[in-house]
Amino acid sequence: MNESAERARNIIENYNGKKIRIMEVCGTHTHEIFRQGIRKLLPHNIQLISGPGCPVCVTPVSFIDEAVWLSENKHATICTFGDLMRVPGTEKSMLDVRRDGGKVQIVYTPLDAEKYAEENPSEKVVFLSVGFETTTPASCLAVRNAAKAGLDNFSILTANKTMDHAYPLLADSTDAYLYPGHVQAIMGTAICKRLLKSGISGVVAGFTAAELLTAIATCVTLLQDDKPFFCNCYPRVVTDDGSPAARVLMQKYMEPIDAEWRGIGMIPGSGLKLRNEFSQFDARLMFDIPIMHGHSNPACRCGEILRGSVLPSECPLFGKVCTPEHPIGACMVSREGTCSAYYQYGRN
Amino acid sequence: MDKMITLAHGGGGRKTSELINNIFRKHLGNEEFTSDDAAVLEPAAKKIAFTTDGFIVTPWRFPGGNIGKLSLCGTVNDLTCMGAHPKWLSCACVIEEGTPVDDVEEIVRAMAETAIEAGVHIVCGDTKVAGRGQVDHMFITTTGIGELQDGIYPKGSNATRGDAVIVTNDIGRHGCTILLSRDQYGIDADIKSDCAPLWGTVSSLFTITKNLHTIRDATRGGVGTVLYELARESNKGIRIDRSKIPVDPAVAGVCGMLGLDPLYLACEGTMVILAPMDDAGKIVEKLHSGKYSRNAAVIGTVTDDEPGKVFVKTDVGTEMILPEPGGELLPRIC
Amino acid sequence: MCVGLPARVVRISKGTALVDASGAKRNVSAELLDSVEPGDYVMVHAGIAIAKITSDDNNEADAVMDKLEGAAATI
Repeated sequence: MNESAERARNIIENYNGKKIRIMEVCGTHTHEIFRQGIRKLLPHNIQLISGPGCPVCVTPVSFIDEAVWLSENKHATICTFGDLMRVPGTEKSMLDVRRDGGKVQIVYTPLDAEKYAEENPSEKVVFLSVGFETTTPASCLAVRNAAKAGLDNFSILTANKTMDHAYPLLADSTDAYLYPGHVQAIMGTAICKRLLKSGISGVVAGFTAAELLTAIATCVTLLQDDKPFFCNCYPRVVTDDGSPAARVLMQKYMEPIDAEWRGIGMIPGSGLKLRNEFSQFDARLMFDIPIMHGHSNPACRCGEILRGSVLPSECPLFGKVCTPEHPIGACMVSREGTCSAYYQYGRN
Repeated sequence: MDKMITLAHGGGGRKTSELINNIFRKHLGNEEFTSDDAAVLEPAAKKIAFTTDGFIVTPWRFPGGNIGKLSLCGTVNDLTCMGAHPKWLSCACVIEEGTPVDDVEEIVRAMAETAIEAGVHIVCGDTKVAGRGQVDHMFITTTGIGELQDGIYPKGSNATRGDAVIVTNDIGRHGCTILLSRDQYGIDADIKSDCAPLWGTVSSLFTITKNLHTIRDATRGGVGTVLYELARESNKGIRIDRSKIPVDPAVAGVCGMLGLDPLYLACEGTMVILAPMDDAGKIVEKLHSGKYSRNAAVIGTVTDDEPGKVFVKTDVGTEMILPEPGGELLPRIC
Repeated sequence: MCVGLPARVVRISKGTALVDASGAKRNVSAELLDSVEPGDYVMVHAGIAIAKITSDDNNEADAVMDKLEGAAATI
């Protein structure tokens, strides 16, 4: 950390103005803020709220149920990011499916799932496609490669989401957003500027200690002037224009649909599905998956936690029946989930 | 001799003798290696340490070793952790039908080489052949006896306030090597397992001090798991400084790609040692001259407060509790 | 939501870049970036290079704080 980052740290530590709330919406931000001990620097009048920015956390129970069904009824080979393995469905997680003999492969990228399908033509390979704008382009590239290779044994089960629609919904819970650096690397800063016009403040933040400190210090400083603001505090990666190529790709392969966010409910237009031209790669159509009605534990307060309206410690399940080894709610499942981060890095 | 192991090699007849004589006895033979039902030993010490460990690893061969070397090192290192001079080992092998005999020989040869290096004799053993698919290639169980040394009684519960927390080498290399050897994630890196027998490394320290409070090999679950074990067993707190932890840059790169923490990756040739801080400088200096401990470092201290917990000093200088390891290590992307 | 890792581009051909993160090497898609060259640093996520990295985080911190302190002076 250099002298500028130290100055940022001083601004944060010595803040003694009005009470302010800053929401980080990216799960990796939540995770890094904890891991790097930044929360410990905050005076009591700065509140950092962890929003719904982890695609695993907001993936509905029914999505896992669909994947379980594909394994158990269609003997599909499930390819997934490691993050999803522990997410509880109504009855089973993918770890349970694997234990019971289902074929579940952890992959680093959807591109590897597509390659696996090419190399194993006798298997029906389904990639569990979760993620926000950062991750969705990789799924699109996998579908493109599958089309190019003429595969009929590869499909994706989509639960991809976009952040745009969630910001206005949660704006009352915070005074400023830390915008997710890697989503903005794809989307650019146009959305942030649109939100600014409707009075919503925020800064784009990176992930190193210096980047998080300077982003938070920027919020703290600019919140003193009661004017909405926007600032890109991650300029080494995020440009105003983002990645037009990635957006063209997503446009070509995916279209918006209404989507359920675990804990938050339905947000119109906030999900993505494959366009009709590529429906032969849509697992729901390929296997004619029945509609699933997932059931989550009724005592779980993940929804309110994701909205930042209660702390994990206020949930009756937290740390008792719901732990990282035996997660009940999705916020405990992903290591970057709000509850998991609180559990691991500071129950107190 | 046949090219493949068949169930007949486990049948107790001529083929079994062939396997034992042409492979096991040929490589492992020594004056104490018995043909009888049990080996007869004459310990010089009044007290012995006795331990056993089972080994399964996929793939069985990996950069820096194979399951044979691993099975020797594991038991030698467990004895070493008690300050006991490893003397005698047994080995029981369960071999999968259809395993090439050459692979078995490669494994046994590695056991023999490691035994010579560690100064132990393999004195008895057993082989069984299991049907195809019942085991993966070869499973090995080794049991060992070591002689306790006068005045050296390291134990997990001995941790004392002010002790230095020392790691004898850079951490997480074995776990990372196995992860890459499975070739699941398409990542290449020039990383070798740290798998090594450490009696020589550890016993070299006895010339400096016999007051090593705790020695623990950071195998399954890695250094992070061991630190929690020690904090609990001694009812002390442990504070470590992340910037002091030696990690091979390539291991750090792999961990960065997969969202993993090297603190939870297994080591097979790296110990955690707790010893009075006054001796720590000399201990680390001595370790730096050994071939398996060039990257040894003091990474933290033992405290009286926060018993049972492990804290990490972060990049920004604050302290956070180290997340407790739990369950299978899963790479993350989101 | 997105673990990113800075890595150096070693070689590039047909939209695929071999990247190196302090010795950990992997092929990733570089199709989303225009004009990537060996020696460039990129941010890698889920097997694709999502952005070019134009400086280190210390220089960035300098720039962000200079700008902030300039703005704060006018508040």
